[in-house]
Amino acid sequence: MENDSMIISPQELQKWLDEGKSFRVVDIRPREQHELDPIVSLDATIVAEEDLDFSTIDDNPVVIVCQYGLSTERFIRENGAENVVSLLGGAQAWNEFESSKADLSRYARQMVLPQVGVKGQKALAAAQVTIVGMGGLGCPVSQYLAAAGVGTLRLIDGDVVELSNIPRQPLYSSDDVGRSKVEAAVERISSLNPVIKVEMKNVFLTSENRDDLLSSADVIVDATDSLAVRRVLDEYASDHSVPLVYAGLYRFEGQVSVFNYNGGPRYADLFPEQSATGDSCADTGVLGMLPGIIGNIQALETVKIILGLEPNLSGKLLLYDGLNHSMDIIELD
Amino acid sequence: MKVIVKCFSQVRYHLGKDELVFHLEEGVTTSDLEEKVREQAGDLLEGVSLRVAVNQKYTPEAVELKDGDEVALIPPVQGG
Repeated sequence: MENDSMIISPQELQKWLDEGKSFRVVDIRPREQHELDPIVSLDATIVAEEDLDFSTIDDNPVVIVCQYGLSTERFIRENGAENVVSLLGGAQAWNEFESSKADLSRYARQMVLPQVGVKGQKALAAAQVTIVGMGGLGCPVSQYLAAAGVGTLRLIDGDVVELSNIPRQPLYSSDDVGRSKVEAAVERISSLNPVIKVEMKNVFLTSENRDDLLSSADVIVDATDSLAVRRVLDEYASDHSVPLVYAGLYRFEGQVSVFNYNGGPRYADLFPEQSATGDSCADTGVLGMLPGIIGNIQALETVKIILGLEPNLSGKLLLYDGLNHSMDIIELD
Repeated sequence: MKVIVKCFSQVRYHLGKDELVFHLEEGVTTSDLEEKVREQAGDLLEGVSLRVAVNQKYTPEAVELKDGDEVALIPPVQGG
């Protein structure tokens, strides 16, 4: 285990960069090799292995890099110094990771759409979407937004995975039972699309912590199963003019709308009073496909908002019934 | 006059119907109609707040119904 903590993967190093963490990069390869195959977008000092000296190291970690990560791992095993880590896979792996980040061929099918294109793909990469609730709705929303290349996803849920969750939350595996939902989700989603940033908040959203949790969201996705939390989201979204993509489920039915979009109506305009209706999926029952369908509609609306694609469901309430496959759209304005 | 009620969520579930057909006197309003539906449900819709849309348009205030109107009764839903 100790050696694991002395190795950093390109993804983890990218996280350090994103978080603005202070660290130094030292390239131990010969200068000619460094010049021939530089470490892309990292500012590295070149120091020959025999000259490495960590006796005067400060608190900032040092990342040592060789061509394939083998020499640096050996160096650490033999001379293990605190706060010195080896870059997994070396310059080779880092540069591949960097080029995969820029590799838009991943999104080729969606970029062919004139409504997306390079401009839209860049808008997706620059967007931050905050998903509140990682249950039946949050799972498909996060998966499809990650796959589409939304640059930053923040996942909020304080729950752990239960066995009875899995049929409608197949983002999780049976081995995840008992684990934090956001922790398991971040793992899956990061491997689905390693070039986006996924932040996890292993807490339940309340009116006290909402400002911290929801800050910097371009779009908030309401994937909660609680009317009380929904009202907190609605209030925040309205105060800060952030679009809120809402969905709720009842047995075979789902509701979807976009609230607070460009001054459009909010949830409280539709359901002003606290309602005594408290039926959760646990009370009423649900088949997993239903949140799958409704969550994907939410993900689609989210992408449309980021791309500026209209019309969206602002000012409208979509009502889907999975038994008849009927869709009704109610005008709210 | 004939008015169709489209049932959603708890209304659909408790009445066991997707739609209800009402033959009403002139002058009946959406809130009168909502009362009639609640009566049919016994106490099953007690405590369930309902939003009303007439011909796919949300109508927060009670309005007088016309022949051929389609009225949707929409409860808030919570599941996620």
